[in-house]
Amino acid sequence: MGEHARHHWIVRVTHWVNAVALTLMVASGLRIFNGSPEFAPKGGTFCCYPFEGRSIPASLTFGGWLAGARHWHFAMMWVLVVNGLIYLGFIYLHGEWRDLVPRRGDLRDTWAMIKFYTFITKNHPRQGKHNALQKGAYFAMPWIAVVCVVTGLAIWKPVEFSPLTNVLGGYAWARYWHFLAMVAIVVLAASHIFMVFAVDPYSLRSMTTGGYSERLSPEERNARPFYHLLPQAAAAPAVVAAPVAEVSAAEKSEIT
Amino acid sequence: MTFDRRDFIRYGGTALSAALFGACDSQGPEKAEKLLRYAEKKNEGVERLIFRHTSMDHAKSNVRAAGDQFPSYFVSDVVPTLDAGAMAAWRLEISGMVQKPLSLTLDDLMKLDRQTQRVNHYCVEGWTAVAEFTGVPLRSLAILAQADPKAGYVDFQSFDNGYHESWDVESATHPQTLIVYAKDGAVLPPAYGAPARVHSPVKLGYKNTKYLTKIVFMPERNGGYWTDEGYEWYGGV
Repeated sequence: MGEHARHHWIVRVTHWVNAVALTLMVASGLRIFNGSPEFAPKGGTFCCYPFEGRSIPASLTFGGWLAGARHWHFAMMWVLVVNGLIYLGFIYLHGEWRDLVPRRGDLRDTWAMIKFYTFITKNHPRQGKHNALQKGAYFAMPWIAVVCVVTGLAIWKPVEFSPLTNVLGGYAWARYWHFLAMVAIVVLAASHIFMVFAVDPYSLRSMTTGGYSERLSPEERNARPFYHLLPQAAAAPAVVAAPVAEVSAAEKSEIT
Repeated sequence: MTFDRRDFIRYGGTALSAALFGACDSQGPEKAEKLLRYAEKKNEGVERLIFRHTSMDHAKSNVRAAGDQFPSYFVSDVVPTLDAGAMAAWRLEISGMVQKPLSLTLDDLMKLDRQTQRVNHYCVEGWTAVAEFTGVPLRSLAILAQADPKAGYVDFQSFDNGYHESWDVESATHPQTLIVYAKDGAVLPPAYGAPARVHSPVKLGYKNTKYLTKIVFMPERNGGYWTDEGYEWYGGV
């Protein structure tokens, strides 16, 4: 399986370990945040958080109580970091980083993807293993993770690492940057999951078993979010709503 | 590689259901308890490894002192307060693994070399408060009492309904660990731990016992009020 898999098994394993660890980190982090859901130091104010004092709904949190959430957060952080280092080390040594680093033409390709998704152009651009939007997201993810780790260190050990905490603007600000980095990761992950189900559910297979069929790729299906989820050889228009079917049919006739 | 598909689905499924199990304000599977304890122990090792007596906390100059916005906290039903008689009888005892046990009145304490520092108070809940604390560094008291170098732990005990927390001796003898009797230039009020409390920016708030009665140098750790409830024993900042 290894050689012909779309994603190397190390990438697949680290992906799912990351998915679990990240979920637990975010949820336990939100429970920790609820211990004092505001950024202002006591007796002071904080300019930049519009929801000061409002708790995160308990259903989105993990750990049960503050101490429990802290235990989870401080245990899972090692899983996240070690797993992340394995992933980054692997793609560095194995060459997959080449699929992800930005290069000249990415902005043009991004624009091409936006034009395709907004029905300005008709055919799915062919941009290699990942399209420019994916590349941007997958390239940004490790960097945001680095921000999470650095800001996390600054609020975990604000005395031992006081130069770092000070550079970030002090404890309250470091805590805020940590929170914002979490929001960025959640937004990216949510967009990623949305696109998986709305555009390329077949990638679930390539990210678990590694199996992949060119025929089912978004390019071959000419897939936009919720459009052409099924391969074009099958009766694709049957699954889409009536007004949409018109567009699909038009496109289909053009392809065939 | 011999990581077959079935294995992948089995382990992946277990991990995923753990994650889903998590999405409902749960404490997580009970089996994880052991693992979390192990992680806590390892984390304590890392924290003690990077701990330095030369790392200092300084409150940012543009952050105002919390003043009376500094949360008052105790575990008794009402603010533990000593009346005049009790105050006269109050002693701070330094005992355990020491050559010269001390029994200090508040006056005795105030006559020792004092230190005033404007520092952060880091609460486990996530908030911080700035205050100016005045008191005697515990390391001076340790020298005065000739604490045994083999005493690895220090227990801070109080008259607040049995509240106590034990520390590692390295944190207890950090230059910013004070036995505090004044806050923001005034005598420490009962709401903040009068007549004396321990305060250090290197420990989370709950480790900083108020309403002090005894400081005991020990060969072993002795838990603590919140530690026994399940919070980290080390509670370092």
